[in-house]
Amino acid sequence: MNKRRTTWEWPVILVVGAFFIVPMLAMTRFAMQRVPMSLLGRDTLFSRWTIRGLMNTISDDKFQPAFLLSVRLGIVTVLVVLALLLPTVLWLHLRAVQWKMAAEVVSLLAYVVPPIALVVGVSGAYRDTVPWIVSTNFGLVPLYAILCLPFAYRTLDAGFAALDLHTLVNASRSLGASWQQTFRKVLIPNLRTAILTTSFLAFAVVMGEFAISSLLLKRTLPTYMVEAQGREPQGAMGVALLLLVLTTVLFMVLGRIQKKSPTSSSQEIRITP
Amino acid sequence: MSQLEFAHVTKKYGDLEALSAFTLSIQKGELISILGPSGCGKTTALRVAAGFEKFDAGRLIMNGHNIEPVPPQKRNMGMVFQSYSLFPHLTVAENIGFGLSIRKMEKKKRVSVVSDMLDLVRLVDVGHRYPHQLSGGQQQRVALARALAIEPTVLLLDEPLSALDAKVRVEVREEIRSLQKRTGTTTLFVTHDQDEALTISDRVCVMSNGVIQQVGTPQEVYDNPSTDFVATFIGETNSVTIAGNEVLVRPEHTRVVSDAEPDSYRGIVQNFSFAGPLKTVVVRMSVDESLVRATMTNTVGTEWTMGQEVGIVFDHILRPTT
Repeated sequence: MNKRRTTWEWPVILVVGAFFIVPMLAMTRFAMQRVPMSLLGRDTLFSRWTIRGLMNTISDDKFQPAFLLSVRLGIVTVLVVLALLLPTVLWLHLRAVQWKMAAEVVSLLAYVVPPIALVVGVSGAYRDTVPWIVSTNFGLVPLYAILCLPFAYRTLDAGFAALDLHTLVNASRSLGASWQQTFRKVLIPNLRTAILTTSFLAFAVVMGEFAISSLLLKRTLPTYMVEAQGREPQGAMGVALLLLVLTTVLFMVLGRIQKKSPTSSSQEIRITP
Repeated sequence: MSQLEFAHVTKKYGDLEALSAFTLSIQKGELISILGPSGCGKTTALRVAAGFEKFDAGRLIMNGHNIEPVPPQKRNMGMVFQSYSLFPHLTVAENIGFGLSIRKMEKKKRVSVVSDMLDLVRLVDVGHRYPHQLSGGQQQRVALARALAIEPTVLLLDEPLSALDAKVRVEVREEIRSLQKRTGTTTLFVTHDQDEALTISDRVCVMSNGVIQQVGTPQEVYDNPSTDFVATFIGETNSVTIAGNEVLVRPEHTRVVSDAEPDSYRGIVQNFSFAGPLKTVVVRMSVDESLVRATMTNTVGTEWTMGQEVGIVFDHILRPTT
């Protein structure tokens, strides 16, 4: 039984691995080799490798502001999503289980409403009452938070569901901890993995979101990259590749953190209080 | 003055009355068990005491003060739960020290108290471990140490042994009683297991459908049950008709004798089982066809066969049924 499973495992891993790695290798060659695309073949595998295109794009005056804006938007969106969802999901689990189904449906709205409808609707509704949503860069944050809802809600929901929440909360409160202390000292540490996963995913969404920022005429990293593609296609591809590598590294770090969780048997033993 | 007093506490969930004018007074240093079947309201009573449930009527008094408006974190009640409630991200020592750090106890003193508590529950060597590295029995002992570390006014135990296997359950049960006596902590213990309640309690409060049936020492509730529910819920009973009256008799007060013995009721042996020093004989009474169980010490020379005609003697009538 075990042997058969092992026999099947490797081809599956190879096919799935190839599905991800082959396009990345193709991207790498396109971005880093100064060879016309029609000549990119086996013969030119080692010819004219360079990072000039990537460096040209990175050193462009407009790149850094766009990149920093996306990073800032990513960080603020993560904070907004966590501030919104952590208490909400806690409340749904502890006090309002009957509302969970409704919350799940609402969290899916981002998939149902297309970005253009979201932008047009938000612009129309808030242009006069809350003009900063349309006029400032950080007006993108509420829209990005909506985009992050489907998976952010589910990740946190799964994190809360994995805990014996009622018992932990009651134990903490019976030992004298207030709600805030319970949240900070008991729940947040036990939701660390769910919070990190939510944060990384939300950040990745913001770093890659194009439609809304383009429609609202904001120069974020994705809109800049589309612009730059016309001028320096190799550089834009290089930046895309770099982002992919960064995201992969982030998720590897996340994996390491998960392994270090106290519930893992490989955890080192810590000290007394 | 009692340390904790429920005075006519009523708690409703919709139309269901989980506690009906619940009145119970717990003296300082006493261990009281609330015993009853599932859904009888015993855990609700405990949660009301802890402050996790609001109640609809009555008063809850601790050391002479009404504590109804006091939130759970300010009641100073240590609680041990049915499921393992240790914080998974903290070591055993950190778990025990949790309540102390919340109280802002200085580190040196905290470490000393934690060390004393580990000593008290005989887990000195596992202070650095995480909860998942402990057995179920060890986890509940740590939970007990954590609850005792804050020197609670009242210790609340919510079926803390029910997740443990039989052998460990007996060990931890004895440990709870021993620690409670040593520390003199007033304790409210909720269980559905009569053995647990009878062996470790100063007094037992038997509940059914949100109503207290009887409060008394284990001996009192066993020997003199005040209701049929108490008589049948605690220990075993035979329901038999004697002189036209239906009565309850304990199997250990029922004797199977040879057919010839005078003043005995007639019956036929239906079944018997052997359990070392004790044996149980099931006899069908001739008078009303009811089945009667007799538990007797296993003496040499008293052997019964299926279908044998025998006499039955009732040494002590527990109570007439109502």
